[in-house]
Amino acid sequence: MNASAFEPKVLAFLCNWCSYAGADMAGVSRFQYPPTIRVLRTMCSGRVDPFYLTEGLKSGFDGVFVFGCHLGDCHYLEGNVYTQKRVKIVENLLDLSKIGRGRVQLRWVSAAEGQLFANYIKELSDELAELGPFEVSKFTLELSALESVLISPRVRWLAGIERQITERGNVYNETMNSVEFDRLLRSVCETEYENALILEVLRTGPQSVREISAKTGLGVYNVSQRLADVEKWGPVELHGYDGVTPKFTRTDA
Amino acid sequence: MNDNSQAKHFTGAVMVVGGGIGGTQAALDLAESGFFVYVVESSSAIGGAMAQLDKTFPTNDCSMCILSPKLVECGRHLNIELLTLSEVRQVTGEPGNFMVKLLQKPRYIDTSKCTGCGECARVCPVVCKNEYDMNMSERRAAFRKYAQAVPGAFSIEKRGTSPCKATCPAHISVQGYVALTAQGKYQEALKLIKEENPLPAICGRVCHHPCETACMRGELDDPVAIDSIKRFLADLDLNSETRFVPRIKEKRDEKAAIIGSGPAGLSCAYYLAIEGYQVTVFEKLPVLGGMLSVGIPSYRLPENTIEAEIQVIRDMGVEFKTGVEIGKDFTISQLRAQGYKAFFMGIGAQECKALGIPGEEFEGVVPGVEYLRDINLGKKALLGDRVAVIGGGNVAMDTVRTALRNGSSKPFIVYRRSEKEMPANEEEIQECREEGIEIMTLTNPKRIIGENGRVKAVECLRMELGEPDASGRRRPVAVVGSEFIMEVDAVVPAIGQESDWACLTEECACQLSDWGTMRIDPLTLQTHDPDIFAGGDAVTGPRTVIEAIAAGKQAAISIGRFIRGEDLSAGREKEWQAVQQVPTEGYDRIPRARMPVMSPEIRVGNFEEVQLGFTEEQVRAEAARCLSCGVCSECYQCVEACLAKAVDHEQQPKELEINVGAIILAPGFQPFDPSKYDTYAYSNLPNVVTSMEFERILSALGPTQGRLVRPSDHRQPKKIAWLQCVGSRDSHQYAHEYCSGVCCMAAIKEAVIAKEHSKDELDAAIFFMDMRTYGKDFERYYNRAEQEIGVRFIRCRIHSIVPAAPNSDDLKIEYLDKTGKMRAEVFDLVVLSIGLQVSKQSKALAEIIGIEIDASGFARAGSFSPVASSRPGVFTCGAFRGPTDIPFSVMEASAASAASAALLSESRNSLTREKTYPPEDPSIHAEPRIGFFVCRCGVNIANVVNVPEVRDYARGLPNVDYVADNMFTCSQDTQKLIIEAIKEHRLNRIVVAACTPRTHEPLFQETIREAGLNPYLFEFANIRDQDSWVHQAEPEKATAKAKDLVRMAVAKAALLDPIEKLQVALTQSALVIGGGVAGMNAALNLAAQGFKTFLVEQEEVLGGYALRLAKTWKGEDVRSYVEELKGKVLGNRNIEVLTGAKMLAVKGFVGQFTTTVQVKGENREIQHGVAILATGAHSLEPREYLYGQTERVTLWHELEKLFEDDPKRLDSSEGIAFIQCVGSREPERPYCSKICCTASVQQAIDLKEKKPDLNVYILYRDIRTYGRREALYTKARKLGVFFIRYNADEKPVVEKVTVAGKEKLRIRVRDHILERPVELSVDYLNLATAIIPKGLDELARFFKVPLNQDGFFLEAHTKLRPVDFATDGVFVAGLAHYPKPIDESIAQAQAAASRAASFLAKPYVEVEPIASVVDQDLCIGCGMCEANCAFGAIRLHEAAGKGYRAETVSASCKGCGVCAASCPQKAIDMKHFRDCQIVAAIRAGGCAQ
Repeated sequence: MNASAFEPKVLAFLCNWCSYAGADMAGVSRFQYPPTIRVLRTMCSGRVDPFYLTEGLKSGFDGVFVFGCHLGDCHYLEGNVYTQKRVKIVENLLDLSKIGRGRVQLRWVSAAEGQLFANYIKELSDELAELGPFEVSKFTLELSALESVLISPRVRWLAGIERQITERGNVYNETMNSVEFDRLLRSVCETEYENALILEVLRTGPQSVREISAKTGLGVYNVSQRLADVEKWGPVELHGYDGVTPKFTRTDA
Repeated sequence: MNDNSQAKHFTGAVMVVGGGIGGTQAALDLAESGFFVYVVESSSAIGGAMAQLDKTFPTNDCSMCILSPKLVECGRHLNIELLTLSEVRQVTGEPGNFMVKLLQKPRYIDTSKCTGCGECARVCPVVCKNEYDMNMSERRAAFRKYAQAVPGAFSIEKRGTSPCKATCPAHISVQGYVALTAQGKYQEALKLIKEENPLPAICGRVCHHPCETACMRGELDDPVAIDSIKRFLADLDLNSETRFVPRIKEKRDEKAAIIGSGPAGLSCAYYLAIEGYQVTVFEKLPVLGGMLSVGIPSYRLPENTIEAEIQVIRDMGVEFKTGVEIGKDFTISQLRAQGYKAFFMGIGAQECKALGIPGEEFEGVVPGVEYLRDINLGKKALLGDRVAVIGGGNVAMDTVRTALRNGSSKPFIVYRRSEKEMPANEEEIQECREEGIEIMTLTNPKRIIGENGRVKAVECLRMELGEPDASGRRRPVAVVGSEFIMEVDAVVPAIGQESDWACLTEECACQLSDWGTMRIDPLTLQTHDPDIFAGGDAVTGPRTVIEAIAAGKQAAISIGRFIRGEDLSAGREKEWQAVQQVPTEGYDRIPRARMPVMSPEIRVGNFEEVQLGFTEEQVRAEAARCLSCGVCSECYQCVEACLAKAVDHEQQPKELEINVGAIILAPGFQPFDPSKYDTYAYSNLPNVVTSMEFERILSALGPTQGRLVRPSDHRQPKKIAWLQCVGSRDSHQYAHEYCSGVCCMAAIKEAVIAKEHSKDELDAAIFFMDMRTYGKDFERYYNRAEQEIGVRFIRCRIHSIVPAAPNSDDLKIEYLDKTGKMRAEVFDLVVLSIGLQVSKQSKALAEIIGIEIDASGFARAGSFSPVASSRPGVFTCGAFRGPTDIPFSVMEASAASAASAALLSESRNSLTREKTYPPEDPSIHAEPRIGFFVCRCGVNIANVVNVPEVRDYARGLPNVDYVADNMFTCSQDTQKLIIEAIKEHRLNRIVVAACTPRTHEPLFQETIREAGLNPYLFEFANIRDQDSWVHQAEPEKATAKAKDLVRMAVAKAALLDPIEKLQVALTQSALVIGGGVAGMNAALNLAAQGFKTFLVEQEEVLGGYALRLAKTWKGEDVRSYVEELKGKVLGNRNIEVLTGAKMLAVKGFVGQFTTTVQVKGENREIQHGVAILATGAHSLEPREYLYGQTERVTLWHELEKLFEDDPKRLDSSEGIAFIQCVGSREPERPYCSKICCTASVQQAIDLKEKKPDLNVYILYRDIRTYGRREALYTKARKLGVFFIRYNADEKPVVEKVTVAGKEKLRIRVRDHILERPVELSVDYLNLATAIIPKGLDELARFFKVPLNQDGFFLEAHTKLRPVDFATDGVFVAGLAHYPKPIDESIAQAQAAASRAASFLAKPYVEVEPIASVVDQDLCIGCGMCEANCAFGAIRLHEAAGKGYRAETVSASCKGCGVCAASCPQKAIDMKHFRDCQIVAAIRAGGCAQ
């Protein structure tokens, strides 16, 4: 990177007990790192709601970092395990939206690892710099859709239930292996994301399948399928026809 | 003892000695239970050995991460007073009422003012070894023990005054300027010198430097060339563009006169000028400087040097008048009339003393000082060729050398004593010799012979040395008949001078001594005329320049005080005691730098300066030779650097007296020192390190920042060996026979972590005798290390460690393998697993307090009262009681606090304080009015972040109504300002931008509470630790970042809500489940502490498993103990015993449990605030080894019972065997049952003692007689018990056989030393089977507490919360937690009682108010939150007409927020970290400004 290189601005969530203390330790030890991060402290990284991450991007940050205790060191026993699962979901969704998973990073830092914290900020800031500035205006639609997905009960339910289903078993003591669960989660995320995109597009008024397809980048067939699905439960209905072309609208818009 | 009349005298305070993890835990438990606690810690911070560890086993938790919050809690607790740097001196009194005398050493930094910014350490020039890093790194004399130390204040280490400073007549901070010079801080060094000496360039040339005589470096090689360093500094300044001129404090109008411009007068003028007085110096001669100018030849002290230093004084405004003779030109009274308020007489002693022999009147007899004066004033004065200079002082040397330079071809010295007694500087004598000048010693002139009125010859006598005289030197005595005559052209007496007191005219009341010197008050230098002061040679007779300078400064102090009308002597008497002993090991011999001089051939012909001065390199090297005798050099850089004004070098040791009811000793351990041991070559080989050193190497905070490198070449090792039992299980001198108990696990942990740290594959091998992984989850850790992580375990005995090859840093370990063969392997690094031992200080403490210790120094204690000492009211815990790991130390600490609390229960809450706050005004919370305070933190923030800019920026942010910047926002004054601002500007939210909330948020919360604001209406912006300190080179970006952080904090602050402190009512009674020894002890302790306790036991009788035990490992009778215990329990009014009781249901949470038990067919509901689960464990009944098939195979204590019932069976036996690990350490039960080795060894000893010819075999896998139980193993081997090791995959095979008509058991086992199968024939076989949990799952469900993989209860945290559950108010003790011997069960039971009491002591439970809140309308009752909460703090309840809804159990909520982030409906929010608050902060941070 040359000196005139772009310096990203990053939102960083630090848990109170390990990583915030680690960041303080970097300070006490005067380990220097680039002035890229803006820190928000939470008691546990498990508090970081997945939609905070997209909110960060929406608000103009070039990336969002989440730092927590090392697995097994969590002050709240296993809050960070949930963080890990959630960030994984967000990463998948960022890939789907073409924003790219590189804009959200999760790392573990203990209270003693000031040097490691500084190193992470250097490395991750460099990686973000490579990606260049995040242009929010290009992803307005995607970000709104991502937020709807991340606050949707279905995805949140799946995110929350993962450990129970893969580790402890359901009420019938059945467990699902994690590969299978991941596949399921990914497909749900994909469906939800496409639904959300369509719903977002429909906010601007009644549109045809082709129009929707053009705006979302989803295939025409895919849009039809999703519309049929959303119509069953969601705020979408047939608005009328423009000639022979059906136009759909949001009922809650 | 507990009746009320006496209880009044009990003191509700406890002293805890030792601030390690044990002491900290004990203090917290007691303080939470209503007792005031003094923690007495000998170092500057609490934390102990745990603070030095990297990770802890078996969870690999970061040691500092888990310790630090406890330390902070301890440091902040209102009812804990930390007495650091303190030692116990005396303990008198009785249990319940002790008087303790303590000695507190000075910290030199005021803890209440210190902000922990570290500026003092930054400027401190003294480099010391850092003990925290096991001396592998360096720190400064001003230091903090470690980054997270509590208290966080820095401290300054002093050993005392350095000999150089103590000896210097002016007490210059010599070590200080030498240290500063070593750092290249020349100007600072010069300023420091000038605090005491305004003439360093002069002194640096002519001082007789007693500092160098006293210099401790001289003991090692040569003294540091201090004087030359001083000269270098002074010359550097005088030759610089702008010379250092001290700042005049405050200009004053009063005038002072100084008579005489010698060193005393100049010094007095200088220091008076600094004080601001108008000073005039009157000099009789045409030149200034007194003897400096006219007494010392210029080849030694050039005039321009004198002139330069005087010029500085002139620049300060001092007026000089030459050629003015007081007493002649002016009188004192005339000067008084001119307004001079005080006078300093520094007239020196310039008149030469006469020899007192015949012939002094001849021409050619010239007094030395007169001659020098003439020459220096430029007069021609030729003495002729042969000049006899009489005397051995500097004047004599100066005269003789001047004569040589002034045309005399053969000047020489005549001195009556030997050269050793000569008062002249050694180098002057040396230089005389170099210049070819003869020194005739032991020679004294008798008469001067003249011719024509002129000197022709001198007659001398030979002398010899007799008895010492008053000066301590041997008195010269003339040798009779030794007269001889030397022809000379001149005789120059130089034997001393006296003063000319013509200046004292009649009006003066001053008095002179018989010697013609002025009489003065030695402290104030005041004469009999109150306004006249005197010093220098005029008072002392001819002495040295530095003494005159010292006198001048003292006179200046007196004159200043005199003019201001202050007490002249107050606070001036000071005794200077030099450090006597300074460690010199570890220093290489480095000779003193040689002063470059002009060669003798060149110099004799002129008056050019002979000594040329040190080069900078020479000065730096010379300064680096200083041994830092005083540690702190008293350079006072820290005083200047500390903007908080916290440094106070004048602090003195303090004697304290405290009154306490009980004492807990937790002094911890000292690591074993292997340096005395040849085998391990620790002292010689750099790559042999101790386990403690290795911890520091691994630590991210350590000397290598966690990079795994070896000491010799800082390369990453590829092969590391750990050697176990270094100093433990060893009968050699210096070593210990006991097992240190913790090293096996510590080594495995270090190996595992080292492998994790290594980028490349690391080969880690542990060399051991028995692997003792006997604790909870230890065996599993061991298995994982070996099987998954690939640590190698080598069973062996070490022979030696040697370099792998000559000059190689690698190490060859030679060892005897398990079959006794000699083998060798090469490693890059060897770690010695050193054991624990009791320190000398702890032994001394035991002696002071008067408690018994055993031969190894451990405090004596019985198994049944494990934390009691031999002195009632004094309790012990941790490694002082025997080698223990962290959880056990914590457990014992709690037990000791329980025992103290039981003793003092009547005085509970009598000395504790509770802070009260003004009521909160609810109306104030409406519209946000934010007050913003930004901290400069001295220079820590302000040097990088533009603080005023941030302040002004904040003024423009929404809702901000007040802004201010402060030097230290955390200072006491600023707290007042904040409170005033809140009131005056009706502020209702406060944002502080400063260091870090982790250390300072509680302080500001406290402050705003005092102003009537809810503490949660506060927000912190971290602009120091996470901004100014980490972006030091980018001030603009750091300022921009600070603004962003402030904007985010302000945005969040505007949305903050007040949060009410949560208190849940508590039923002050306890339920103890399980009536064994643990349960009974827990119940008894709680009852003694005054709490109603229910004891529930499912059997009909109390006693549990202990009913089957006969003796403890120490030999105490268990049965009678259990009977006594039962009696106490049943007779206690506070305990209700329910035997034959079955648990049916448990409802509620901490403070409000309702438990239903069925007793004799009836249901009974018990209300209780807390519960202790102590249901015990069972022994496994095996299906192997013929158990159940013959009565000859028994379990555990069955064999003892068998022999007790029928002693004939033992009589007829020939052989008895024990098999260990039956069912333990197996794949289905991968844990060690901990107590079986001790039990079998103990039984074997009993059998051997009863029947010495009996063959007793113990078949084992590892003998785990951990800690002091090792003594039993040693004894058993001495008694001839056979120990045969078997492998898990080759278990012994047992068969029933008949031998000679008798039924016998035949055991076949593979002997691993002989490496072949052996066959044993025995009469009985006793099996040490696994200890297994039974029926714990039901209790676990009742109380919502977890079990571990082996089915034992799982505590909240293995290390630091060993008896707590994650669920508040429920505790565990005894075998239900894990197998353990009776003493550990009892300690754990008392610990559980202590933890329980910390809840029961208050009528309510204080709850973390940052809890989750459920929106009942949004909740759909899915139960996700309940499933994901690790604390059982959120659960579904039936809402009328709505089905299930979630609700937070506030009492249990820890505030992590996992539920909120998981809730599918987003129905849950976290107080203080609400979605809307966080989103506001995100948006504020993101928007480009």
